[in-house]
Amino acid sequence: MDKILDPRLQRLTLINEPLPAKPELDQLPTFEVFVKSRAARPWRHEGSLHASTLEMAFVFAKEQYSRRGTCLGIWVIATHDLFVTDYADNQTDIYDQFTEAPGCSGEAWEVFHMYKRGTQHTHAGQVSAPTPQAALACARNALERPRPVLNAWVGAAGKFRKSTPEEEAMWQTTPEKLFREAIDYKTNEKIKAFKATQS
Amino acid sequence: MNTTALKELLYKMADDQLIMGHRSSEWIGLGPLLEEDIAFASKAQDKVGQSLALYQLLEELGEADPDTVAFSRPAAKFHNSIFTELPNEEFDFSIMRHFLFDTAEYYRFELLSDSTYEPLQQVARKFTGEIRYHILHANEWIKELGDSTEEAIARMQSALDKALPYALGVFEPSPYEQKLIDSGLFAGEQALQNIWQDKISEIIGQTALRLPAWESIEPVYGGRAGHHSEHLQPLLDEMGQVINSEPGAEW
Repeated sequence: MDKILDPRLQRLTLINEPLPAKPELDQLPTFEVFVKSRAARPWRHEGSLHASTLEMAFVFAKEQYSRRGTCLGIWVIATHDLFVTDYADNQTDIYDQFTEAPGCSGEAWEVFHMYKRGTQHTHAGQVSAPTPQAALACARNALERPRPVLNAWVGAAGKFRKSTPEEEAMWQTTPEKLFREAIDYKTNEKIKAFKATQS
Repeated sequence: MNTTALKELLYKMADDQLIMGHRSSEWIGLGPLLEEDIAFASKAQDKVGQSLALYQLLEELGEADPDTVAFSRPAAKFHNSIFTELPNEEFDFSIMRHFLFDTAEYYRFELLSDSTYEPLQQVARKFTGEIRYHILHANEWIKELGDSTEEAIARMQSALDKALPYALGVFEPSPYEQKLIDSGLFAGEQALQNIWQDKISEIIGQTALRLPAWESIEPVYGGRAGHHSEHLQPLLDEMGQVINSEPGAEW
C-alpha cells in the first residue's frame, strides 16, 4: 500500500502505539472549594487548589477564595471524594440516568447542580443514600431543580471540611474588603489630576 | 485614665503589628506554594491595617499622624519586640515565628476586648476575628511540619529553639505594668504570657517537637525600650524608601 501523506492520518498511527508512561506529577492533591457569599445564596463552587491535607486546603481556601467580597463560610472537599456525573446531552436532564433508587437511607450526601455550561455548580441540597449513584436517584425526587441539570456532583457530607459557626468571625471583620480591589485606589483619577496640573 | 501608660501600650502593639506586617509582606512572590503566598499577603495586609488602627488611637491621644509615626521614626524610637524585626530566614523560622507571635497577639487582643478604654476595646474585638485566621493558619503548619518527615521535625525544632528566647521578649514588662492592671486598661504581660504558654504547649504537644522548660529560657528584652537588633534600621529604611524619596508628597 502506498504511504499515506496526509499528516492527519499519519498522526493516527501514533495512537496505536503505547503511550510513554507519564512521570508522576510532583504536585499536591487538589481540593474543591465552595463559598456561601450571602445568606440567601446557595453554596457555590468557586474553584480548586492544591494542598497537603483537607485542613490545610481549608486554611488556603479562606484566603484564596474569600479574601475579597462578603463571605459567610466555606466548604472544602478532596477532588477525588466527589462523584461526578457525565454531561447531559442537549436539553436532557442528567437525572434521566439515575432512576433506580434502592432506598433513600444511609450516608448523608451533598448534591451540587450545574445547569448551564460556563456556570458554577451550586448546592441543591442533602440526601441520604447508600452510594453516590443512589444519592442522585434519591435527589431526583427530593431536590428541586428549576430546569434540566447538565451535570451533578455528589460528595459524602462527612468528607467536607465545613466552616463552623464559631469560625464565621473570620469573615465578619471587614465584610467588603475594598482595600483589596485595585479599583478602590482610584489611581487613574489621580494620574489624570496630576497630568492636568502638568499641562 | 493614665495616658502615659496607655500610649506606651498602644505604641508597642502598633509597632509590633507594623514590623511583623512588613516582614510578612517580604514573603510575597517567594512562598513555598502559590496558596501560601496569598495567605502571607493577606496576613501582612491585616497586620499593617491593625497597626494603622492603633496609630489612629494614638493620634486621638495627641500623637503625630499615622504616616509620620510609621515612617519617620528612627529605630531607637520604635517599641516593637526584637522578635518581630528578625529577618525571615527560611520558611521554618518564619512560620514558627508566626505561630509564636500570632498566638500572643490573638490572646493580647482577646484580653483587650475587656479593656476599660473603650476605643481600644472596639478595635481589639475587631482584630480577634482577623487574627483567628492567622492562628488557624499557623497552628495547621506547625501541626503538619512538626509531625512529618525527620528533616521537617529537625528543622522545626531548631526554629523553635532559636525563636523561644525572642518570643518571651514579647512579654517584656512595661514600666507602667501595675498602673495598666489597676486601671483595667490591660490585664498585664504576665497574665498574657501565662495564657500564651498554655496555648503553645497545647499545639506543640500534638507534634513530635519538644518544648524546653519555660524557666530555662532567657527572654531577649530591649525592644520595648527602643534597644533593637541591627536588623530593624535596614527594615525601616526599606519601608520608608518611597515616602522619604519625596517627603511631603500627597499619596
